[in-house]
Parts: sequence; structure tokens; C-alpha cells
Amino acid sequence: MPTSESENSAIIFDRNAVRRHQARAAASFAEHDFLFREVAERLADRLQDIKRSFDVGISLGARGDHLRESLMGNDAISVLHEMGSNTGSPGIAFIGDEEALPVKPNSADLIVSNLALHWTNDVPGTLIQCRQALKPDGLFMAAILGGETLTELRQVLMEVEAEISGGVSPRISPFAELSDAASLLQRAGFNLPVADSDTITVTYSNVFALMHDLRGMGETNAVVTRPKYFSKRQIFLRAAERYSELFAGSDGKIPASFQVLYLTGWAPDASQQKPLRPGTASTRLADALETEEHSAGETADPENSN
Amino acid sequence: MTAKSTVDPKLLEILVCPVTKQALRYDEDAQELISEAAGLAYPIRDGIPIMLADEARPLEGDQKSD
Repeated sequence: MPTSESENSAIIFDRNAVRRHQARAAASFAEHDFLFREVAERLADRLQDIKRSFDVGISLGARGDHLRESLMGNDAISVLHEMGSNTGSPGIAFIGDEEALPVKPNSADLIVSNLALHWTNDVPGTLIQCRQALKPDGLFMAAILGGETLTELRQVLMEVEAEISGGVSPRISPFAELSDAASLLQRAGFNLPVADSDTITVTYSNVFALMHDLRGMGETNAVVTRPKYFSKRQIFLRAAERYSELFAGSDGKIPASFQVLYLTGWAPDASQQKPLRPGTASTRLADALETEEHSAGETADPENSN
Repeated sequence: MTAKSTVDPKLLEILVCPVTKQALRYDEDAQELISEAAGLAYPIRDGIPIMLADEARPLEGDQKSD
């Protein structure tokens, strides 16, 4: 079976570190979950726009209650099984790894994920497994963090670290770009793939408050080559200074942007819309536009042209 | 011996071994989901199946590598 071919994908994220960060954050997650809460609402809105009901839904990387609460509000989903990375999150039905999905092929009507799949090393392999787990015409909808996330912090840390230690280390995880997202879905075999993005800007009193929140979300750096020792205090003190100089508003507070990508695709099914073969149209474009048709000069079949 | 929590039968219907994607056998007494194909037993803790190969118990006897 053509499932997880992870040998040929680079290992960027330390999946055990991801699991550890999330488990550590689970107990006080509710104090830092604003982003998850907000995005859960937006996912639910999008799902409501799709006039469909789903028997079996699966939520990947579930943390906290928000997605369940937001989704079950519109009773379009009969059952929602939530897969988490640790047992500390409420409502979890089973523990699993998105890269080795323990879900039977052809068994789900809906797979949703609220800000989890940006931690997968093998995004194409994960998407393929999701597509296989869906029934024909099943829906995949995931929100992930995009490459513009924490762009301010990235810029500041890079500048400051280069200035102080003469080198740069990967301190913030790399994320997918919007421009790659739709083609990733398409390559995984989804039909009607759509990718779009939102940027959510949050303000903090300083960099330390931002870092505290990231830790509370369990979203701190899990890049394999991340520095394994505590960073020099002076780097963060200087970073706090530069962040304010470059980005602070008139109230002294600093903004942090989170780019959220929404990926939507359908498991292929014969009933879905597809382009017709050329020459099989039953309606004239000119009629649809209520205009007169003018010949462009050359036609493929001059006998029948008008 | 702790009291057994039950696992949602609807959940069991959709779970497979993450390594082989093959069906699992539910051992209610041991609270494990057995993957014969992978030679692994996935634990169920407090009614929550832990579907991670790292956390699974290798089955004794006929060991299979793949």
C-alpha cells in the first residue's frame, strides 16, 4: 500500500518534542488557547457554509474542547472521534500520530484538524493517509500555521543572534507557504482543493509575554537542529529591545502575527464536478453572457461556423 | 486490577494498526488492541487506545519484522 513513505522526506521536527511540549502545556492550555479557540470558530463557520452532513468525523491533533464545541453546535456531524497526542487533553478518544494515522481506509466522512498538521515532517504522506481514510466524497479541512507566522520575532531573533554570536540558529519552526498548500492537496489526490489564509495579530506587553504564551500553547520550537541549551540571556534582552524599536505601537505594546492557512479538499468521487471534454458544451458562452458571438477569424471546422 | 473502562465500539470500527493499516483484535481482558500483522499490542489506558508503535508491546512468539 502506498502509505507513509517517510524515508524520502526530511526530518525537520522532533515529533517527541512536539508531543512533550503539548503534554506539558495541556494542564494550563485553557489560559493560552485564544488562537485555537478563534480558529476553531472559523473552521466551524467554513463547515457550516458547506451544506452537508457527516456521519463519521475525525479530528486530528485535538487539544482542548473548542473544535468539538464549535463543530457540534450545528449538528451536521453525528459522531466526532478526536485524536490527540497526549491523554491530558479533554475529550480525546484515541492517541495517534498524524504521520502514521491509525484510521481504517474508507471509513470517515470528515477529517478536520485545528492547528496541528504544521508539526508534521511528512506533510504529503500525512495528507495521502487522510485522503485514504476518507470515504469517497469525504471532506478534509485543516487549519495550519503558515510561513508568515511570527514573522516579527523571526526577523528580530535572526538580527540579534547574528549581532551577538555571529551566527543564526533555527529558533522558530519553518511552516508551509500558502502558495504550496493547494498543490500539496492536489498531489495527495484531493479533488477541488482550496487553500486560503487569514492573519491574526495579537498584541503583547513584551517579548517575554509572547514567549510565555507560546510555551503555554505548546507551540515552542521543535526543530530537530534547534539549540538544545538555554539561549544566552543577552540575546533575549536585546531581542526584546529590538522588537519594541521595530514594531511597538504608540501604546508600547508589540504585535505578533499568526498566519493561519485553511486547506480544504474532497476525496474523489464520480459525483463531483469536473471539466467537460472540449466541444461537448450544450450552452453557448455568448448566451450565458447575453452577448452576440463574433468569430475570431479562424475556426477548426469552417463548414459549420457562422 | 483496575476497573475496566469500555471503549466506544464505533471507535473500534475505524481504528487500524498505524504501521500496517491492518485490522486489530480487541482483547478486552488485557485492554489491548492486537495487530497480528505488526506483532504489536497497543495499550488502552482509561478507555483511550494509544495507537503509537513506540508505546506498543511487542507480541511474543512468532516475531515478524514487517
